[in-house]
Amino acid sequence: MKISFILNGKKIEIDAPPDRRVVDLLREDLNLTGTKEGCGEGECGACTILVNGESRLSCLMLAPQLEGQKVTTIEGLASAEKLHPIQQAFVEFGAVQCGFCSPGMVLASTNLLQKNPNPSRAEIREGISGNFCRCTGYQKIVDAVEAAARKMKI
Amino acid sequence: MKGEKRKVILKEKKVEIPLAKEELEVVGKQVIRKDGYEKVTGRLKFGADFDKAGFLHGKVLRSPHAHALIKKVDVEKAKALPGVVAILTAEDVPGRNGFGAIIPDQPVICGEKVRFIGDGVALVAAESEEAAIEALKLIDVEYEPLSAVFSPVEAMKPGAPKVHENGNLLTTVRIRKGDTEKGFQEAEVIVEQTYSLPFVEHAYMEPDVAMAIPHEDGTITVKGPMQAPFTVRRNIAPVLHIPISKVQCVQTHLGGGFGGKEDSSIDIGVRAALLAWKTKRPVRMEYEREEVTLSTAKRHPMIIQCKVGAKRDGTLTALEGTIYNEQGAYASLGPIIPPAGGTHAHAVIMLPGPYVIPHVKVDGYLVYTNHPYGGAMRGFGAPQVNFVHESIIDELAEALQMNPYDLRMKNCFELGSVTATGQVLDQSIALKETMRSAADQFEWFKRWRPPPSKEEVEKVEKRRGVGMAIGWYRTSIGTFSDGCGANVYVHEDGSVILHTGITEMGQGSHTVLAQIAAEELGVRIEDVRIVVPDTDIVPEAGPTVGSRSTTLMGNAIIMASQAVKASILEAASEILGVPAERLVARNRLIFDRDDQTRGVEFKEAARRALATGKRMMGQGWWAPPRPSFDVETGQGYPYFVYTYNTQMAEVEVDTKTGHVEVIKVVACFDIGRAINPILVEGQIEGGIMMGLGYAMMEEVLLKEGKVQNLNFQDYMIPTAMDAPEIVPMILEDPNRYGPFGAKGIGEMPNIPTAPAIINAVANAVGVRIRDLPAHSEKVFHAMRGRRG
Repeated sequence: MKISFILNGKKIEIDAPPDRRVVDLLREDLNLTGTKEGCGEGECGACTILVNGESRLSCLMLAPQLEGQKVTTIEGLASAEKLHPIQQAFVEFGAVQCGFCSPGMVLASTNLLQKNPNPSRAEIREGISGNFCRCTGYQKIVDAVEAAARKMKI
Repeated sequence: MKGEKRKVILKEKKVEIPLAKEELEVVGKQVIRKDGYEKVTGRLKFGADFDKAGFLHGKVLRSPHAHALIKKVDVEKAKALPGVVAILTAEDVPGRNGFGAIIPDQPVICGEKVRFIGDGVALVAAESEEAAIEALKLIDVEYEPLSAVFSPVEAMKPGAPKVHENGNLLTTVRIRKGDTEKGFQEAEVIVEQTYSLPFVEHAYMEPDVAMAIPHEDGTITVKGPMQAPFTVRRNIAPVLHIPISKVQCVQTHLGGGFGGKEDSSIDIGVRAALLAWKTKRPVRMEYEREEVTLSTAKRHPMIIQCKVGAKRDGTLTALEGTIYNEQGAYASLGPIIPPAGGTHAHAVIMLPGPYVIPHVKVDGYLVYTNHPYGGAMRGFGAPQVNFVHESIIDELAEALQMNPYDLRMKNCFELGSVTATGQVLDQSIALKETMRSAADQFEWFKRWRPPPSKEEVEKVEKRRGVGMAIGWYRTSIGTFSDGCGANVYVHEDGSVILHTGITEMGQGSHTVLAQIAAEELGVRIEDVRIVVPDTDIVPEAGPTVGSRSTTLMGNAIIMASQAVKASILEAASEILGVPAERLVARNRLIFDRDDQTRGVEFKEAARRALATGKRMMGQGWWAPPRPSFDVETGQGYPYFVYTYNTQMAEVEVDTKTGHVEVIKVVACFDIGRAINPILVEGQIEGGIMMGLGYAMMEEVLLKEGKVQNLNFQDYMIPTAMDAPEIVPMILEDPNRYGPFGAKGIGEMPNIPTAPAIINAVANAVGVRIRDLPAHSEKVFHAMRGRRG
């Protein structure tokens, strides 16, 4: 079936079977491999994307659910060569190690700061609690999100 | 500036220690990791991100039996399925039907029998993943189930089912130092306990993947997230019955490894290679999360009996320990190759802890069972035994009515101490300083109180407590494979290529190693590019394990850099008319030490060096001083240097539910030299978090040999909600054998966390958990048991 939606600011139309998982549609049909798959069951958060600005797990969504929606993947977050302040803070604050969780973690943080531009550290921890990171211990991720929040307010 | 005091990086406090090195430009700086940009933008390609076009899909048929004979494998129906290209069984393996990091005892495809639930019985290659999955269902295997054994203690009994032909006892390692009988006679207080540790999953975020591409010239390329590409190559060649020189292994960035991808990349790499070899087509294999948990290596479970004796004043007199170390179905990284090595020997060596004990006796048994197998996982046998010595030291302190800090301070290693293996610690040992700094930061003496009575616990809903643990950890593997090489190439524009086989799995090695090269050459970090480890190109590096990368490879890189730098300095000398010995290279400039106004750009010197035919590459090869270890007596120098660590934890226990919240962890490390402090902090915080998981929630549950918690829904790892405040602290007592004084950091942080937390729980509510993990239910029942 034909599905049309806005992907990273551009309107697209694509043919996909109705049972195509969104994570496969993005990674395989659209070659957007920045979205990762860590568990395939909605537990780890590596496949997080933004749908109309809200964090969604693309491994639990089917292609038709995107019809008419506004989708942002990690590839669509940075403008041209300039990193989004959250991405920049992740790099500067050592919030990235293996990087497999980073795209999902960055998008979950984006959603968090959109809803709550001034979060406490506890609120940040809660906001990213659906995204596993096995490398960092989360502390530097919280540092980065906190710093990005400050910067985005200026 | 020799002898000057240098401020050491601490989150909140400043400590000064002597610094033996001149001021540095790149090393010791908060250099941003080189792959950060690619990772946060999603541009960095992990193994699963490469184009699948043109690849067949490979799958493994797995045994549903823990122990069974294979009577018949009928593949005819599966072969007939459209899209299926090949179904392979044991007879199809052209060479050695076995692989393994140390002993090749795991069949690539089982022929006669299966030894655990998840063993590979057949391989499938098909045009589509769907066809491959369908084909698995059509393979008809007839099994004859055998009785199975699921505990190392049971497996050691006479008449137990034999997992392998030669019996279940794989390795015995002992320590014999002094006379423990005499030591216990001298003791005034003796504590004896049994502890047990579970199977734990690495839970790296990126599931395993491998791509194998056969070439017309009889060579084969295998790509994937390999923690140790040379070990993968060493296993593929004999299976395909071709020389090592015809196998190329290319690493893709690892989405986490933690020791697990040392084993799993052999497993998936060998199988993908075999399918590609037989079909003469590129084959891609990917293990789903459940398959990773089911079939790949885990942290060894252990049952450990331990007994310590001390004088009334706390002086330790003797320690005895017996380790029943469960290897599971295959040897993986368990056994020993003299003069040292293997998780098991490391566990035995580490059991007496970082303490001076005159009389020590340890017997460690490594035993096969029909469970999944134990391999390397961050700490390599040390987290298990550290939990034991740090628990029993606290239990002893309680019996002696001493502050556990004082008991540790009285007995722990310092300069000149002799270990249980007879090794004299003659350099780079600031364990006591880590204790003092951590205690200062944590305000240990203000916060520690003796454990409460039953009545006191019952009075309040939530009780806080504090606990500590100390530890030591090797830098290096301590076996033949510790030698490692590096090549450094300088180009005429001053840019540099570094060839190293150390893999990047998130720890930041490719940033740290580039820093070392940049510092030694006198260029900037952005001038150094590290080529992705490719066994056709980079020199043998050994595996990326044992917290060895910075130190061992760092030394090889310094040697390689110095070799090529000689050419550049020679060229600069010709340009400047100043003897090369007087020249200093720093920050892309080469100048006269005695007259710093006279200089030339690095790239200009490089251009001249090339133009005048000078050598434009340098090679380095470094191996640590040769280790020694006797498996019968446990005596020797198994590792050439150790990292030391103190951790202190504060917890809050809900006395009604048993729920434990870790509030804060202060952790201080003597790592010789922090080449990149922010990356060191990253290792510390991540390791502690993994240790918190080990303490509180992580356990691979098994029932009749079958893993019960295959996905993250059931296998819990810590989330951000579990994260305590972590205060990482770095002390630098330079390592004589390390680049700029460095020693290892990767694994150490993961080790004392669990006992520090469990000691804090005991301090809070007066109950002691001796079998991990200490989930709420267990703590609750322990408290209720105490209430009687």
